[in-house]
Amino acid sequence: MWKSIIYKEWLKIRWFAIIYAALGILVVGNIFLKGQHDFEFSQEAYYWYSILFNQYRFYEYSLFKFVPLIGALAIALAQYFPETVNKRIKLTFHLPVNENKALMVMMLFGAFCLFAIAAAQLLLFTGLSLVYFPAEIVQSALISIAPWFLCGFVVYFLTALIVMEPVWKYRFLYLLVTATFVPLYLQTAAARAYSPALPLLGVFTVLLSVALLFSGYRFRKGEM
Amino acid sequence: MVKISRYILVLTAVVGLSVVLPQFYRMAFEKPGRNPLIQYSCIDHDFIILRPDADDKWTNREGTKLTREAYEKKLPLMHTRQLVMDGTMPDSINGEKINIQHAGIFRSNFRITPDEIHAPKPKLYPLFESQSGRANLEMPNDFFRITWRMEFIDAQTNRILEDKSRMFSAVLYNRGFKFPATSINGIPTTRKSCDEGYLVIDSANQLFHIKMVKGEPFVRQVELPNGMKFKTIQCVDFSDKLYYAYLFTENNELYVLTPYDYMLEKFEVDDINPDKYEIRIYGDYFNFNVITIGNGFIRTQVVDRDHNKVDEYAETRPTYDTRPEGKIAQLLFPAELKMTDDNSSYVNFFLKMSKSYWWLILSLVLIIAQYFIIRQRKKNIRTEIIDLMLIGLTGIFGFIAVNIFPNKFID
Repeated sequence: MWKSIIYKEWLKIRWFAIIYAALGILVVGNIFLKGQHDFEFSQEAYYWYSILFNQYRFYEYSLFKFVPLIGALAIALAQYFPETVNKRIKLTFHLPVNENKALMVMMLFGAFCLFAIAAAQLLLFTGLSLVYFPAEIVQSALISIAPWFLCGFVVYFLTALIVMEPVWKYRFLYLLVTATFVPLYLQTAAARAYSPALPLLGVFTVLLSVALLFSGYRFRKGEM
Repeated sequence: MVKISRYILVLTAVVGLSVVLPQFYRMAFEKPGRNPLIQYSCIDHDFIILRPDADDKWTNREGTKLTREAYEKKLPLMHTRQLVMDGTMPDSINGEKINIQHAGIFRSNFRITPDEIHAPKPKLYPLFESQSGRANLEMPNDFFRITWRMEFIDAQTNRILEDKSRMFSAVLYNRGFKFPATSINGIPTTRKSCDEGYLVIDSANQLFHIKMVKGEPFVRQVELPNGMKFKTIQCVDFSDKLYYAYLFTENNELYVLTPYDYMLEKFEVDDINPDKYEIRIYGDYFNFNVITIGNGFIRTQVVDRDHNKVDEYAETRPTYDTRPEGKIAQLLFPAELKMTDDNSSYVNFFLKMSKSYWWLILSLVLIIAQYFIIRQRKKNIRTEIIDLMLIGLTGIFGFIAVNIFPNKFID
């Protein structure tokens, strides 16, 4: 039964997940293509100097900041919007499994796909960074991009909440809450500046993983 | 579990709203307040004040209004060019004949703000050649770190330069340096008049001067009084070349480090706390104006060229919390959450609680309003106790949050 549910989720999101993964890898590749070009055209020492002392954030190239957010939004919409068409989610609720558990499995599968794609991007980013930069610059870059990937998960959880909410008025209000909360992960900041905030941002991200249960419950109870 | 998910969402909304609502309020109603510039006049031997926002922009300490020209004449070493242009620059000040070019050498400006102290520091630095024989400094191809040893990393190959690293590490070790470094302070730019390397604190809290002279390491330990610790060391490149750096101690004292003899000389000023206050130091031929600017106050302490205190003057001014718009904010919001802070370059959850308890009045009103909402929904009040408590604690944020995520079906 669970395998079937997971397979159904995979069928819904597969193309979006593949496109997001490809886009992420292309963007990371593009960052280092630019880096390699800059290395060739200006002295390496000056490139390092710009990063260390002139706040040059090489990892922001190609709008990398927004890639996890866009990917998570696409996957969440692909996964949950079809469930709201003709209230198809009710078919899942009629299965002989715990309703909350079914929702959590859906959500965990989506989050796992996001995690796998993020891990691939981060591995590629770290590997390529280590070719060009010393550990200090790589570590600073990873701390700086970490909130963007956490933001991806938050957007995924909150989009699921909004899409599954049965009442339009509340969808709008949830959207407003999302608009107040998501920017906390996307502040413009110097390299490594996010380090003190990361633990709490991580806790909020994990806590929000159960957000879907709320609108799922309202859906089940027939709120219109 | 559904109940928990609701409270998590309510918490999320409270966090988001406590950032956004006070921010919107500030953007709509906060009034700007510019600090006055308080300088010591070597002509009057008294303070002269420039208030950019006031009708009487230029005054003396007593508040006597001055014209712009009179103001500039009282600060001849600050407005030298203008006075020379007007033909009113005095030949002598305090009985001393003034050579403009010579006096200009002693002019210095220094400024440090708390957000520069509380900021992520780079962990790699370029070590310039101090005596290259060239007129301009050149950027080296390698950067150093001081961890378990002093390591130089070549930017072209991203590899450690073993020979150079061993040579510098060995000299540091022989001079008693205890690895790793806890603070590396210098002016890492080629746009300075000359290179004096770095002032480095080691793990045993010893201060070392490290530079590279003709490719060889130059390492010199600076004798520190027992237990002296620094909040920050700020290297300077002033034209008089009298000091290597301003050193700000943990007990809010200010020292300068002199070149060649490595003497620590104390400025007779107090409460110099760069952790909290903006510090400005203006030096001229006669005096140093040491200015501390905090939230709601500005204080200028004047020392002479021998660093003895001459005079001081302080002013307070209304802050956001004491102005009407700030007081209304204290009624509306129990707290303000910011991701950035004026005193830090880090991103963090900066929670500023309301200075008063006026917000409790609004909380009480909102609890009553919520009670009527509950009655209207025909809900059992006992199931809503936590929501009411949340409103009591978080005021308007909690009220909005519990109504955005209603517990219509959750009992």
